[in-house]
Amino acid sequence: MSYYKMSEEDLRQWVDHLLSKVTVYGVQAKGDRFAFNALNDSSSLRLDYDVTILPPKKYFLPPKETLLSYKGQKYDSVVDEKPFVLFGVHPYDLAAIRQMDKIFSSDNNDIHYMTRRNNATIVALDVQTPSAHNFSGNMNTAVIEGEYDILLTKVDSSYVVDVRTGKGKELIKGMSGLVTAEMALVDSRHKVWEENKSRLRAYPLKPSLSEIPGLLDKSREHPVWAEKAELCFSCGSCVMVCPTCYCFDVQDEAEWDLSSGKRIRSWDGCMLERFALVAGGHNFRKTKEERYRHRYYRKGKYVAEKVGEISCVGCGRCVSACVPGIANPCEVYNRLKED
Amino acid sequence: MSKPRVAIFDFACCEGCQLQIVNMEEEIIDLLSVVTPVEWREAISDQSTEYDIAIIEGSITRPEDEERLKTIRDRAKVLIALGACATIGGVNKLKNNFGMDDVKSSVYGEARDMPHLSTYPTKAADEIVKVDYKVHGCPIDNREFAYIVKCIATGKEPVIPYYPVCVECKEKENVCRFEYGEICLGPITRAGCDARCPSNGAWCFGCRGFVDDPNMNAGREILEKYGKTVEDLMHRIVLFNTGRKEE
Ligand code: SF4
Ligand code: SF4
Ligand code: SF4
Ligand code: SF4
Ligand code: SF4
Repeated sequence: MSYYKMSEEDLRQWVDHLLSKVTVYGVQAKGDRFAFNALNDSSSLRLDYDVTILPPKKYFLPPKETLLSYKGQKYDSVVDEKPFVLFGVHPYDLAAIRQMDKIFSSDNNDIHYMTRRNNATIVALDVQTPSAHNFSGNMNTAVIEGEYDILLTKVDSSYVVDVRTGKGKELIKGMSGLVTAEMALVDSRHKVWEENKSRLRAYPLKPSLSEIPGLLDKSREHPVWAEKAELCFSCGSCVMVCPTCYCFDVQDEAEWDLSSGKRIRSWDGCMLERFALVAGGHNFRKTKEERYRHRYYRKGKYVAEKVGEISCVGCGRCVSACVPGIANPCEVYNRLKED
Repeated sequence: MSKPRVAIFDFACCEGCQLQIVNMEEEIIDLLSVVTPVEWREAISDQSTEYDIAIIEGSITRPEDEERLKTIRDRAKVLIALGACATIGGVNKLKNNFGMDDVKSSVYGEARDMPHLSTYPTKAADEIVKVDYKVHGCPIDNREFAYIVKCIATGKEPVIPYYPVCVECKEKENVCRFEYGEICLGPITRAGCDARCPSNGAWCFGCRGFVDDPNMNAGREILEKYGKTVEDLMHRIVLFNTGRKEE
């Protein structure tokens, strides 16, 4: 573990140095919002962003990817082995990656996800500008300890560069004029963290995190499900933008010779009408209400029991993506707590 | 099926969807390795009454069209509706918002009563005959057309998106038009176009038709949230989806 001190200018020089060696995905403006995209030079990198439209999950589980190509009965797996750097990941998104890693490495180790994940170096960044809907302070994900290769924290006008892993060291290697951060500066990050924990709370959350699974257990018949689902378009926006959602669908696409082709995996989501349609035409979550309810059970109970934490990191993306405004997990869990 | 014979027929439309097929360029050769065209006014001069697959482009706007379509249906094993005009009636349905006499007067003026200018409220192909496959959109996406042809050739059921455009719009990482105070029909429109319009800075006007179970009540209620009126919404819906399930 080592700590360096950089000015914003040093930091951009470092990024330009990285760009000469490896693909770097960093946050850039997209209209008046932000998105992770391949960086060409450090000047377009935004470290003051509030939230990206899609989470960095797209680099591990792309919206569409080829799993294998086939010809007749023969097939070859397609695995993307290119190393890359994800630059500027906020703590809540990193917490989501930690959950996804557990899911994709357990049971059936997913080589497509895990190869990309193992080839990625993650430079995390403490939040500088809170987004209007972020409630990660409620979810214990406003600040993260570990999981990153490097963590950047802006304290006053300089950055503390916390190099945590061998991969992190590799990134910083060859940089001339590195200045070690004095302990006082390193410690002053606590002020930033305490502040983020309290200000990243756009919505109050009444039940404690450990209370949520139990609350859900006794709320199957609660009126809130039907009330909210009444306005639901089953449009899937809330799950498409979510950093902890990982449902997918797999389809084959044939070439014109009709015997060769590709097997494509693409994002799917439990809010979509036919998501739970199985062979024989039975849909085990036919109604909007069942699907709407399922999303909260999944986040607050099913996946929570699997990964050991609530499967919502409070990024607030679902809140802004839902056109009728019914997807806010805090609102729903608060209702369950109230009555 | 051994290399099925295909015939393409046009009804009321701009023929833009056939043009999309022509635009497949070198892939046309691949297409011809899978099917044999026997009638296609835009590309070949032959005419035929024997075919396995009939492709219908355009909407039905006159009583005589209806008879022609039924005859085609009787002859074909498989019938494909090509493009919004055929799948949902398309822009041609706009006229159904007015009286037919007014429509004829405004289009043909003095000549409106000539017998060959008869017209009646526009219908989509499936309002008259059974349609086996629909290639949605105005115009169609030729990759989707190619995919459906390959599925038919291999006897596989094509998987056409049933969910709303928002899914693909999110995959494209677009900012939602509603966040800019615009009405977008994405939440009630069938996906499959890769959210073509929102990805180019416009709202979706519904050319692929509604999803199976569009939530119209929610549509009305959210207008209030965004300071819009039901008229604002209806103005957008009539363009492609006049008379289709908006209660
Ligand atoms: S449920 Fe919503 S707030 Fe929670 S992680 Fe997913 S998108 Fe973010
Ligand atoms: S974003 Fe909103 S409307 Fe769309 S599926 Fe989710 S809850 Fe329903
Ligand atoms: S659907 Fe659109 S492009 Fe296709 S024929 Fe009709 S009007 Fe033309
Ligand atoms: S812009 Fe339209 S299609 Fe895209 S998410 Fe918003 S409502 Fe859906
Ligand atoms: S976004 Fe809407 S209007 Fe545009 S092509 Fe797709 S379905 Fe048609």
